[in-house]
Amino acid sequence: MKVTYNWLKEFVEIKIPAQELADKLTMAGLEVVSLEEKAGDFILEIEITSNRPDWLSVLGVAREVAAITKVGLRAKNPQPKIKTAKGNLRIEIEDKKDCSLYTARIIRGVKVGPSPEWLRKRLELVGCRSVNNIVDITNYALFELGEPLHAFDLDKLNPEKIVVRRARAGEKITTLDQEVRDLHSNVLVIADKAKAVAIAGVMGGQETEVTLGTRNILLEAAVFNPVVVRRCRQALGLQSEASYRFERGVDVGMVEQASLRAAQLIREYCFTQEVFLNSSGLTKHKERRVKLDMARVAGVLGATIASAETKQLLSRLGFTVKQKAKNILDVGVPSFRQDVRLDVDLIEEIARIFGYAHIPVSLPAIKPQITANVRRGLVSIVKEALVGLGLSEVITYSLIDKATLGSLGLECGVQPIEILNPLSQEQEALRPTLIPGLSRAVSLNLNQKQEYVAIFEIANIFLGENKPREELTLGIALSGTKSFLLEQGLVKEEAGFLNLKGIVETIFARLGISGYTLNNQGRSAGIHIQNEKVGLMLSLTPQSLNKLNIKNKNVFVLELSLDKVLSFTRRDKKFIPLPKYPGIARDISLILKEGLSVQEILFLLKEKGQPLLSEVRITDYYQGRQIPAGYRGLTLSCFYSSNERTLTEKEIQPTHELLCSELILQFGVKLR
Amino acid sequence: MLDIKAVSAQIDVDILEANSPEALEQFRLKYLGRKGLIAELTNAIPGLPKEERARFGQEANSLKDKLRSLVVEKQKTFAGSSGPAAPTVGDLGLPGISQSRGHLHPLTQVTDEICAIFNRMGFSIVEGPEIESEYNNFTGLNIPLEHPSREAFDTFYLKDYTKMLLRSHTSPVQVRQMKNKKPPLAIVVPGRVYRPDAVDAAHSFMFHQIEGFLVDKGIKFSDLKGILEIFAKTIFGDDIQMRFRPHFFPFTEPSAEVDISCIICKGKGCSVCGRKGWLEILGSGMIHPHVFKQVGIDATRYAGFAFGLGIERIAMLKYGINDIRLFFENDLRFLRQF
Repeated sequence: MKVTYNWLKEFVEIKIPAQELADKLTMAGLEVVSLEEKAGDFILEIEITSNRPDWLSVLGVAREVAAITKVGLRAKNPQPKIKTAKGNLRIEIEDKKDCSLYTARIIRGVKVGPSPEWLRKRLELVGCRSVNNIVDITNYALFELGEPLHAFDLDKLNPEKIVVRRARAGEKITTLDQEVRDLHSNVLVIADKAKAVAIAGVMGGQETEVTLGTRNILLEAAVFNPVVVRRCRQALGLQSEASYRFERGVDVGMVEQASLRAAQLIREYCFTQEVFLNSSGLTKHKERRVKLDMARVAGVLGATIASAETKQLLSRLGFTVKQKAKNILDVGVPSFRQDVRLDVDLIEEIARIFGYAHIPVSLPAIKPQITANVRRGLVSIVKEALVGLGLSEVITYSLIDKATLGSLGLECGVQPIEILNPLSQEQEALRPTLIPGLSRAVSLNLNQKQEYVAIFEIANIFLGENKPREELTLGIALSGTKSFLLEQGLVKEEAGFLNLKGIVETIFARLGISGYTLNNQGRSAGIHIQNEKVGLMLSLTPQSLNKLNIKNKNVFVLELSLDKVLSFTRRDKKFIPLPKYPGIARDISLILKEGLSVQEILFLLKEKGQPLLSEVRITDYYQGRQIPAGYRGLTLSCFYSSNERTLTEKEIQPTHELLCSELILQFGVKLR
Repeated sequence: MLDIKAVSAQIDVDILEANSPEALEQFRLKYLGRKGLIAELTNAIPGLPKEERARFGQEANSLKDKLRSLVVEKQKTFAGSSGPAAPTVGDLGLPGISQSRGHLHPLTQVTDEICAIFNRMGFSIVEGPEIESEYNNFTGLNIPLEHPSREAFDTFYLKDYTKMLLRSHTSPVQVRQMKNKKPPLAIVVPGRVYRPDAVDAAHSFMFHQIEGFLVDKGIKFSDLKGILEIFAKTIFGDDIQMRFRPHFFPFTEPSAEVDISCIICKGKGCSVCGRKGWLEILGSGMIHPHVFKQVGIDATRYAGFAFGLGIERIAMLKYGINDIRLFFENDLRFLRQF
């Protein structure tokens, strides 16, 4: 909202320059977001918080200036001497909850024309376009006093009565902005005997607009229900200076004064002949009183403020203060301060004007709750392990376009949870998997000419079941070729499933999880811990890669339910004594038919090698010139040891020979 | 017949010249090698007259001992360099060889840093769900259903679940915690939040917040100032200025926005702070009695403060990032800088 320095000065004496005033207002909670010098005046643009509709006027800001600078408000507006006769217009309010007060002032014999220079200029400074003298005067009163007014061309109304009612089904109105609006029962309208002539508190109708030919007017000043105006504004997508104020709540005590102020100006500048007033609804405001204990003020703020200072400060803000008992004030809340209901509301007022800067700084004694956030700690361990493995963390959007799941072949049979009010298709659903976001990040980076992309994200996925459920999930994506420049030259390593396996092994080792299996399903593999499926790894299909605009590269992804994985975490590590006696290592080199599982070979060896075989590792695997097509070479390193004695070559020979012959027998391998 | 005395004198000369491991090895071979002088002497013994053999043998042996100790002594002077020579430094302009580490996302790093600061002061770290009830997100926090204050919290609602939404701030966790635990409470809550904002350099429909609150007997506004001053100075440095400005939040009263002096221009006014010299970093205030009422805490016995801040905002200020979209684009050239 904009106000000007000179306009404020009509209400309060200001002795400080505009910049200093702006700073002081900011520090009192009226944040001045810009200050501009223009046409011999200063325009202050102020961000007004939604709890303070009373600040949406020059008068409201002036009241604040008076309190901050410790001066009184000017006794402005000597009540205009307008002889007002009671008119014979009938006002009907269908529901007092929609409109608590409606006043209509009939002003006859006006001459509509351009506004005087000063009025046009002042409205322009606060960002309001000049229309004609009548409309400008209603706007002037709105900006000055915060009460929206509306002028109708009386001769275009059915003069019998004014009705404030909900719109009838199928009713239409053309508003001042020349739009035809379809109305319904959520919309409150002002109507004459025959039809709706304005949308209450939002905008007038074009038919009854004040034009150059207008001779007689009806000047409306009223109070409409904030929620009703808000719904109207939302339903019609129509906002105005009036609706903005009504939604936040206008001061019922200002209606009469604003209407009079406008009438006075109209008489002065539009050659009025006669004025009549009709009104309906509540006119008396019941004053709210709040008890304020000065000990509470000190207790809440941690600052001691003298009772005299408090009283003075509240009075300047328009409150009436009575000393009820020692340290207890009885504070009367003015009609324009509907936001003040509790003592803390008053305490904030005191603190604001006293100055937050003057409240001391202290430190509380914090009594911590001794609860370690175990899950967060484990997640942190996983993140650190992944970073150590060379993966970088990404954060991708939780909202996705449903179609991406299909295009990446990731439909999981369940419909993702949908958003009721997305801004775009890209935000229409909550992701049931992290893979689309990761894939897009891989695509972006490969297209930025990255040779190798290794990324992970730890975030929730969302599953729509009876109740929506969130599952903390780890997603990993690898693609491209990693190169190491070593002293012997450049070594290249293409990302693949075994890299994913290595990552899984590292994470599980870090979390103390053993006994997991990987179930090969061709293009994908399931990851299981103790027969529970905790995740999977897969490679994206050529169609998916095409959709992602990824060329000549494969993308390997992994998804693990961290909620499940973390439940298997073992943190009770036990020391295993180091071997007392040296062991003997023997290698087996063999040729194996493609398609046979190395895992099964290892199982067999471990079983048959008991009790002397303590460890068997794969130390090499290869395909190439020395190996016939359809086969691969494998080197196994068997380590024999005992806890009781040092083994001799002779002792292990039978076991080692047994293993070799079992390999030939069970798997048909050829030894090399 | 060899003159042992002459040989001994020659040895003393030779050992002085054996000044490198290679020369010493030559020396050793010359005297102690398989075809060396000592071997020659020993081989000559059987050809000597019987009465000379013992004396000659003794002299040869003592010569051998002398040689051995000379070699050992000399070796010590080459301390540790008896093996191959130490590698030379070579061209250090070549790239270093190491494992390439990945990078934690800057938002994770900033979140961890902020959480650690509050953790050290005794706050626990708690998380909450991203899908929330309308009650926890709004009503429980004294945000009436149809009120202009809701405007600041435009919200994504779920389609098939009534009154369920994506939390528009981390404050619902305040409601959850205060409902389920008894004061004293000292908690910080990091997390993702959502608001239907059109995406541009300054706005994102998904972003991150940290919420913090302290509830106990006798908590005052001055305590809020103290805690937040420690926080801001730890993050942005001891030399910053701070100011608390009155503001409005439905769930706190009194409420304050907190500014720090611009870390770019030190308060002089620049494009980052909009020539104001101040940067807004967080919102805070004393927990509203209506919120306490909703969660069943006796507001006459307990008081508390709460604050909330945007992690992206802090990260952008801290690192000088000018576009919020960079956080979610995940360009490795961006991520590797942190």
